[in-house]
Amino acid sequence: MKVFVHKAVKKYNNNIVLSIDNLNLEDGKIYAVIGLNGSGKTTLMESIAGLKDLSSGIIKYNNLNLENVKNDISIMLQSNYLFNGSVLSNIICGLKFRKYKEAEIKKRLAKYLSIFNIQELLNKDSKKLSGGEQEKVCLLRSAILETNLTIFDEPTSSMDIESTLKAEELIKNMADGHRTVVVITHDIYQAKRIADEVIFMDSGKVIEIGKKEDIFNNPKHNLIKAILNI
Amino acid sequence: MDIFNNLTEIRGIIYMSLFVSISSTLIASLLGISLGIPAALKEFRLKKYLIRITNTLMSLPPVLMGLVTYLLLSRNGPLGSLRLLFTPTAMILAQTLLIFPIIFGLVMSSISKSGSEIKRNCLSLGANNMDIIMTILKESRAQILTSVTAGYGRAISEVGAVMMVGGNIKGYTRVMTTYIALETGKGNFSNAIIIGVILLLISFVINFILLKLQGSDVS
Repeated sequence: MKVFVHKAVKKYNNNIVLSIDNLNLEDGKIYAVIGLNGSGKTTLMESIAGLKDLSSGIIKYNNLNLENVKNDISIMLQSNYLFNGSVLSNIICGLKFRKYKEAEIKKRLAKYLSIFNIQELLNKDSKKLSGGEQEKVCLLRSAILETNLTIFDEPTSSMDIESTLKAEELIKNMADGHRTVVVITHDIYQAKRIADEVIFMDSGKVIEIGKKEDIFNNPKHNLIKAILNI
Repeated sequence: MDIFNNLTEIRGIIYMSLFVSISSTLIASLLGISLGIPAALKEFRLKKYLIRITNTLMSLPPVLMGLVTYLLLSRNGPLGSLRLLFTPTAMILAQTLLIFPIIFGLVMSSISKSGSEIKRNCLSLGANNMDIIMTILKESRAQILTSVTAGYGRAISEVGAVMMVGGNIKGYTRVMTTYIALETGKGNFSNAIIIGVILLLISFVINFILLKLQGSDVS
């Protein structure tokens, strides 16, 4: 899904926390969003996902408004909140919200459950999972929706390295043809492994965007040079 | 003892107590939950004043609510033409007004803490408004039932308001609490104590049922 953000401003109590002049996300690419805490990464992505209203500015999706494409966007939030009930009910709740038929739900479960080998957890109470397990369920719950724009906010921050690599494999396979994936991460190496393009943010602004090779090998902004130790 | 010679009257008193307190709890719960959830989730200009007023009304003395209801329903009051004063309906109205702020306030307070996170997660997965409300009700079942239990506890134990607007009429508007007050005034302590114990047992059973409904969310 193509996303176009123009003159987007978000204020909290008259403090500007986000100020984006222009930002384009292209079809079929994986974007890694990197920045210090409070740089506006989550605010930008939650605004794109329709969870936050902008104070001013526009966001277009394939030249359409949010209302026309709402069902084609999903976001895995940073909080890893799971609903009361079993792991299975949590994984399929988004499909249920979107009124998918049982046959399609079963088909997608078969496709996604094998990724993390969590079949034995399916009937477990979601509130009794470890942090890493909760994160896997949240990631699957978003990925299984197969939306044209999928945003992951720090999707592997609690996972062990083995699960992280599996999650990255899943994310890499998600971006094809028209499907765009955005991953907010603090892990530079993860960004190098999975992203096609990198968006660097600071103080609510995009300070650099481009191909990962260009950003990581030849950054222009001093802050990025400092972060990358160049 | 007198009380055992008049079991029909006692049964009527117990029935009226349960009828009035359960009816008022149901009405106040319906209103309190359906208004409390959106009030908790929405941000609006006068919200902090609403919270302050609700907190004040939560600790309102029952006799004051009895007085307000009495004035509303008295012959010259705005609802006087309905001729509801000294009827069970008036008692239900007074108790509903008394416990609505309790249920509304507690629901709003508990949903304020957890509701916005639940709503955000629902929206992130494509839920519509009805899905969000149903999910919040499901996720907050324990807190909501705690609010209902608090409201019911106030209703079943309340005496001032029902005495004022019900009139404690034998066989019609007499309930357990007004019976206890009356018998104590007459010096019939044994009757008052027996009804007091029955009241306590009924409260225990209903609270037990409500806590059971809260399920495993309550530890």
